[in-house]
Amino acid sequence: MRLSWISRIQIILALAFYAILWGLREVFPQYSQLLTLVIFYTALGQAFNIFLGLTGYVDFGYVAFMALGMYGGALAVKYVASTGLAPILALVLGPLQSVAMAVVVASAIGLIALRLRGAYFAIATVGVNEGLRHLIEGARIWGGAEGVIIPGDLRKLFGDEGFGYIATVYADTMLVVIASCAAIATWVLKNSRIGYGLAALREDEDAAKVMGVNTTKYKIIAFITSAAFGSLIGSAWALKVTTIYPPEAFNITYTIEAIIVAVIGGAGTLFGPLIGGVLYTLTKYYLGVALPGLQLLIFAPILVAVATTFPRGVVGSIRMIYSRRYILRELLR
Amino acid sequence: MIAIALLELKKITKRFGGLMALRGISLSIDKGELVGIIGPNGSGKTTLFNVISGVYKPDSGSIFFAGIDITSYPPHRRARMGIARAFQIPRPFPGLSVRENVAVGALFGLGGEGLDIEDALARADDVLRLVGLYEKRLELAEKLTGSEKKILELARAIAMSPRLLLLDEVMAGTPPASIDKLAGIIRGLAREGMASVSLVEHVLRAVAKIVERAVVLYRGEVVLEGSVEEVLRSEKLREIYLGGARFVT
Repeated sequence: MRLSWISRIQIILALAFYAILWGLREVFPQYSQLLTLVIFYTALGQAFNIFLGLTGYVDFGYVAFMALGMYGGALAVKYVASTGLAPILALVLGPLQSVAMAVVVASAIGLIALRLRGAYFAIATVGVNEGLRHLIEGARIWGGAEGVIIPGDLRKLFGDEGFGYIATVYADTMLVVIASCAAIATWVLKNSRIGYGLAALREDEDAAKVMGVNTTKYKIIAFITSAAFGSLIGSAWALKVTTIYPPEAFNITYTIEAIIVAVIGGAGTLFGPLIGGVLYTLTKYYLGVALPGLQLLIFAPILVAVATTFPRGVVGSIRMIYSRRYILRELLR
Repeated sequence: MIAIALLELKKITKRFGGLMALRGISLSIDKGELVGIIGPNGSGKTTLFNVISGVYKPDSGSIFFAGIDITSYPPHRRARMGIARAFQIPRPFPGLSVRENVAVGALFGLGGEGLDIEDALARADDVLRLVGLYEKRLELAEKLTGSEKKILELARAIAMSPRLLLLDEVMAGTPPASIDKLAGIIRGLAREGMASVSLVEHVLRAVAKIVERAVVLYRGEVVLEGSVEEVLRSEKLREIYLGGARFVT
């Protein structure tokens, strides 16, 4: 892959952003709670952007992949604790198992639902999310409605101090690494043949087909990639929340938040989720502190205002305003 | 040895509810041929294009491309075999640059599989130089004027290195100077073996600049076929356009 210097600077900036986030967390431990949330929402937006941003399709069931990841991560901890294998395996098996489950489920959903267009696809995905949740509760798999509770297992494997370390430093670092990898994946895709196919189908699916783009195939590739990163985020998040209940894990709010982060920042752009993640988390956090109970009332008009001012998201709109400045436009793509 | 036609339509019918849009169309197009399909509004021209490019499946009949039965092939597969199409109303990818629009054609058209992005962009630049849109290559497609978008539509199709180029009213709304230039380009490509089929709603003398053979479509049927001079001079064509009621096939 031969790349322009603009393209190289672009990925370096994105990775630098994540490195700085991680560094800030180390330097200012008093803000670690806020920074963890920034990292989490940025990662979620970055992962979701691979599907939502690159294809223009909305998956209202995206949280299902994060939930599968949470179960994958938590069940690995339970399994390793009960069999007495090396504790480190709990941290290795979790992500692997999560990705495997997400890829299987995403392939099944993708092969069927991605033949649907636009709104029909979005509706189908809501059904998948709710269906999975009720399957776990109704069939009583993975603890059913009682969920999976792992603090005891983590203490048994890593001791009190190790447990604290894993739930904070380790899990946060994992999230930064996953977000960085999602950014790299986005960048590689955008600069490849697949990215051109995806851009064409996002802009005009029928024209793309007639121009030789196998749109279903490319949508499935983006869907599975995005799902895999979503599940990795879940497997790391499980180490922080340590109790996984179906209504919490499959809560559609996470999907909505991921959509907001990606869209406010600039769907389909590399930097969109970074900007969106920071803006969303800071606004949500400080409104929650300053005006407890009223934060959603204030938050909604802010979101409407931002969406009206920046219809293509902050990054996307700046890119359009300065569309004749080639370097800036390429940098913000 | 019998030469295989590039495109062969055999008794194609297509029906939308109670409307018979195509009634048993049979048509054969050879390599490098320049064919014009003439017919008034509603005669089935665009439906025919949609059937050839794979947007619609015919209700009966079959389509052969270079001897291969492609009747059941999806549009993207046909495109990769060398069937390219320029839409009547340009459908550029608005958020991509002019150059990227054309590069999509190069990447996913005939022989695009082996290209990497740089090669595709270089090919896009070549095509843009050919059609005279090179200066605008870095602009976003949505910033182009209407007639520039028409030319971009053609450039994307040419970048696909097609063996068969389907042009849907590409000359309509294009300034006369550009028509001469584009006609020259299409004729040049035909000499290299690319066949083209142009759809024309209004019988314009401009057609004659591109087309050699003309096929007249009326109410879903081929009613007249011949050299473009013959067809344009024929009494029957005048009846179709001006006195449809008296016309009986």
